[in-house]
This record gives sequence, C-alpha cells and structure tokens, in this order.
Amino acid sequence: MRPLLVMTAADLRQHVRDRSVLIFALLVPLALMFVFDLTFGGMDDLELDPVDVAVAAPEGDPLAEVLVDVVGGLDAVEVHLTRATPDAARAMVRDGEVALAVLVPDGFTDAVTGGREVVVDVVENDQGELESAVVQTVLRAVLDGFHADAVAVAAGASAGLGPEQLAALAGTAAASAPRYATTPGEASREQLTFGGSLVAGQAGLFLLFTVGFGVLALLTEREQGTLARLQSMPMRPGLVVGAKALSAYVLGVTATCVLLVAGGAFFGVSFGSPPAVLVLVLAVVTAAVSLVFVIARVARTAEQAQIAQSILAMVLGMSAGAFFPITAGGVLGTILDLNPIAAFMHGLGITSGGGGLADLGRPLAVMLGFAAVAAVVSRLLPDRRVAA
Amino acid sequence: MRTDTAPPENARDEATDDVLVVRDVVRRFGDLVAVDGVSFRIAPGETYGLLGPNGAGKTTTISVVAGLLRADAGSVTVLGRPVGPRHVDVKRHVGLVPQDLAIYPELSARENLMYFGRLQGMRGRELTRRVGEVLETVGLADRAKDPTKEYSGGMRRRLNIGVGLLHRPALLILDEPTVGVDPQSRNAILESVEALSGEGMAVLYTTHYMEEAERLCDRIGIIDSGRIQAEGTRSELIRLTGELDRVRLAGDGDVAGAAAAVARVPGVQHVDADRTGMLLTVADAPTAVAAVVAAATGAGMTLTDVEIARPNLESVFLQLTGKALRD
Repeated sequence: MRPLLVMTAADLRQHVRDRSVLIFALLVPLALMFVFDLTFGGMDDLELDPVDVAVAAPEGDPLAEVLVDVVGGLDAVEVHLTRATPDAARAMVRDGEVALAVLVPDGFTDAVTGGREVVVDVVENDQGELESAVVQTVLRAVLDGFHADAVAVAAGASAGLGPEQLAALAGTAAASAPRYATTPGEASREQLTFGGSLVAGQAGLFLLFTVGFGVLALLTEREQGTLARLQSMPMRPGLVVGAKALSAYVLGVTATCVLLVAGGAFFGVSFGSPPAVLVLVLAVVTAAVSLVFVIARVARTAEQAQIAQSILAMVLGMSAGAFFPITAGGVLGTILDLNPIAAFMHGLGITSGGGGLADLGRPLAVMLGFAAVAAVVSRLLPDRRVAA
Repeated sequence: MRTDTAPPENARDEATDDVLVVRDVVRRFGDLVAVDGVSFRIAPGETYGLLGPNGAGKTTTISVVAGLLRADAGSVTVLGRPVGPRHVDVKRHVGLVPQDLAIYPELSARENLMYFGRLQGMRGRELTRRVGEVLETVGLADRAKDPTKEYSGGMRRRLNIGVGLLHRPALLILDEPTVGVDPQSRNAILESVEALSGEGMAVLYTTHYMEEAERLCDRIGIIDSGRIQAEGTRSELIRLTGELDRVRLAGDGDVAGAAAAVARVPGVQHVDADRTGMLLTVADAPTAVAAVVAAATGAGMTLTDVEIARPNLESVFLQLTGKALRD
C-alpha cells in the first residue's frame, strides 16, 4: 500500500509542476465557458417584445372567434389585437401600425366543418420578425387542428350522420380548440440551463484530457525508461498501474469539482445537492479513467495515445452537447444515451432540478456500466506496446 | 507458454556463495530466441562483463536477471533466492541501472533519489543520510536541488547509476551505462564502478565497448545471438585465440647484433629486424619487455622507441563470432 501512495504522490507532484495539466484541466475549459457564454449567452434571457396584430374576422363565426381568442391569448408573446376590416388590416400592416394582419374569410366555420378548402391570409411587414413568426406558428397549429376536425365532420356526413349529429360534431370540434397546451414536463425539469450545460459540458469534455495525464503517464514512463526501474522495485508490478489509475482519479475528481464550483459561481448556476453531484463526479471520472486505460492498452506511444484521447474527448463531448445541444432518436439516440458525459450532464440536470441520489439511477447506471465495459475491454485487448 | 519455474522465494541455494547464479536461461519473444541457454555466476566484489554487439541478448539477459521478465527455461538466483517478476523481496538485493535514463526530468536529483529510496522501503533519517552519500558519490551534491531536465547528459547518467546503488544492493546491474556520455563523465562512471566493486558489491556490466570491459571486468562473457560464446578473464579469452603480444623496438647502432641477443630472451618467439629496428612476437610482453630492452641495449643498439601491442577482446570477439563488436 505504501508504494502505491508514494508513486501516486510523486505522480501528482509532477503533474502539478507540469503546467500543462493546470492549463488543460482548468484554464482552457474555464476560458471556453466564458467564450461560449459571450457568444451565445443571451439565449437564456431571450424576451419577446409585444406584437401588434390586426384581425379581420367575420362576426359571429364560431371557429373564427376561436382563432382570434387563441392568437390574443398567447403566453409566449404579448399580442395587442386590433379588429378591422380586411382592407383596413392590410393598410395597417402597410403603414407599419401593426406587424401582422390575420384575414379570416367569411363562412370560415362552414368551410372548415364542411371539409372544404379555406384560406386564412396572413399579411406581415418587417416589424417584430421573431414575434410574428411565433404568432404564425401558433396560427398554423390551430388551423391544422381545424382541418383534422373538419375531415372528421366531413367523414361523418359521408357516413350518413344526420344534421343534428353533424352539428354536434362540429360544435365539439370548435369547443375543443385550442389544440395545444404547455405544461412543464419531466424533460424540462431535467434540462440544464444554457449556463449549466456549458459548465457541465466543458467539465465533462476536459475530464478525458485530465485523466489522460494520469493514465497515459504509464506510456511516458515506458518511453523514458522509468517503467523498467519501477518494475525492478520490491513491490508488486500491478501497483504501478494502480498508482496511475489513482493519480488519474484524483486529478479527474479535483478538476471536475473545481470546474463545477467555479463555473457555477461565474454563471450563477446551482447544480443542486452537493452529495448527489459528488456521486455523479465520481461515476463519470470512473468511466473516463476506464476509457483512457483502453487507449493506453491500444496505443503504442504516448503521442498515439494523446491523439486517440483528443478524438474521443471531442466526439464524446460534442455528442453529449458540450458545445451545442444535440438530440437524436432511434438507434443513434440510444447510442448517444450511452455516452457517459451525456449521462453526467443528464444527472446534473436532475440534481439542478432538485433531484437527489434516489433520482440518479439511470445516469449512474450508464456511467458505471460504461466503466465496467471499458475495464473489461482494456483487460481483454492485446497489449500493443512493444516489449522492452 | 511461459512459466516461473523457480522454487519458492524463501528457498535458498545453499550450494554457492556467489551473489548471482544464472543457469541455462532461455527467453523467447515469439519465434525469436533472444537468450538461448545463458549461464554464468558472479561472486561478491566481482565485476562480470557481458560483452556483445547490439542485439546480442545482453539487455534481455539483464531483464531476466533483474526480475523484469520471466525466463522461459532455466533459473536465476540472487543470494540463493529465486528471481522473477513475482518474487518481490529478492529485488531489494538488486540495483538496476537501465540503459535508458530512468529518472524523472521534472524532479531534482534529491527528489528522484528520495522517491526511489522510498519505493525500496527506505525511510526517515536512513534515507536522508543515504541520499546525501549517493549524491556525493556521483558528484551531484552541489546540483541536488535542480530539476534533472537542466542537467547535462553525463550528470543524468551519474544520477541514473546513483539510483541503482542507493539501497546498497548486493548485485548492481549496469546496462551500457556510458552510452552517449562525454569522456569526462564516462571516466567518472568507470571509476565509480571500480570503487563499488572494491567495496564488495557484485557488478553485472554490459557493454559493447571493449576498452570498458577490459578495464572493469574481472571476468567477461562474450555473448552473441543469445549465447555465451566464451567466458573467462581477459588473458584466458585472449589465449583462446592463440595470438601473441607484439613488441616493436626502434633505434640504431648494432641492430643485427641486438636482434640475435633478443632472440635468446625467454618468451620471445620470433624476431624480424631491419635497419630501423626490430619486431618481436612475445608470449607475455609486460613480463618480457625489461629483459628484451636490456638484451638489445647490451648488444650495442641505441633505442629511440619501444612499443607494445597486445591482442585485445575485439580480435577475440572477431575470431569467435566472425563479426566486429560494433556491428
């Protein structure tokens, strides 16, 4: 046990003296966080301005009224509605009095419930482009809903339903609008804010570099000849590898904790329960150390190992969303879910949303499973390093 | 399949007082037989040289002796205890100086020594005192606190040796310790090895420099293609070739008369004379040269130069292996 601690302490002392560890483990990720925050940091604080909309809709038309109510009652953007005739509405847009005019034709409900084609005109100018786009998106969604219901009513007519039944069906269609609702779902509670994603993503990405300094020192020892000397010492040969793993672990845990604390402080992000976050850090460092041991097994030289490590770090980091959010479904989505850095970020999302240790089963399983598989692979792979 | 065939670690080879006993060691790398039945012994205070060209099997032999590699066959014992990667305690009696500079560039000489000393199980005042002694021995006391990356090649080589002898091993293994070293540092290293041998340490020294082997080694094993081709003292090895020493006498006066007188000196085998002097073949020139000079001057020759040429290990190696040492 004493040789293990002696070797680990010596490794750490050298890593501290070798400034590249401090640079790659702390300074570069912190600098990148700031750069990304400066570039994209406004996205979290995005606020839409109120938008003026003119509406020309036939009086007493039930579905037209639904449409007007939906547009006027949007939560995402404050809409100031002005009722007008179609010509007046167009003029208001042209004159810049409103950003958008919605022109609902006469007989709108009859056309919709009859399954006939009907056109709602939208006229816009270049004011409030983003806000106008939001209003138009909502309009399109409501009209799509109307169309589906209209098809249902039309189908009922063709099936021989009586006028009363058709009227009831149309009434139901009208009453059921709006067709969308926003409720905070499970996913959003597990979602990190932009700043949180930035801090967690950079911490996860650079973790692979950091633990690489520890594990890949094994290859450096071989190249500089000190490995032979260590193996000639009166201790079990496996302790040399154990010391590299331990120093990598200490470096990884320390750097990740520092990055989360410093990044969290700089960006005003709270990752939640410290014990839960610490467990996540320990798990992701375990996965990273295991992965780097695979690299150390496969690479012939320290240079080869560093290249492989950089590629893996970038692939895992980027696919986890360290730079930009990435979503995918199907097989690709499943593969992305097995990424330990993605699991780490997912776990931090849970803790930042108030989750505790009991809620971390899935991300912990992914990270520790990844570590176990990597450990087995590193044992099974043939050692490509040339015998001395 | 490779097996550690040595007996248990606490087993002692009672039949010998030798520090190192290597018996019929074989080590293969795939189809390549790097060491093929090597055997030799080293007594306390003896320096044994493994002399051979690059690729002869010297470093593999050393790796097996130091317990870095297992032998596919044969055995190695140090102080009667078996050596192998799993035999931990016996390694306390072995000091290895690898061919590569096995020191940490970011650490100072003192830190390197303290680190390896701790791994050898030393600690406290004993370690501090011994580190100071070794720094003095290798001449690095005044630069002990500087990072070794700032050292010259010779200084690093000396520290490399210092680490190997830090724990006072019974057997010191030096694998080509003077490769790439300037003449001054090289001489310092050779003097250190001579001193260690004088203190009773058994030294296994590999080199492909003939002059180092001749200077340091009590006995020499000439190794090539993984086999010990011949073994013995320098004189014993040279006798194997049947070559004689040569003495050249230059001068004037009665050269012909001097040649006749010199031919009668015991040990002189053959004399070739000309106007400028004569060339003799002698069984043992250092012993015979005084009598030769006396005979020549007594016969009326005025000597201007005496030159002795002895057959060396290079010629022995050439004769035994058909190739030069630096091939």
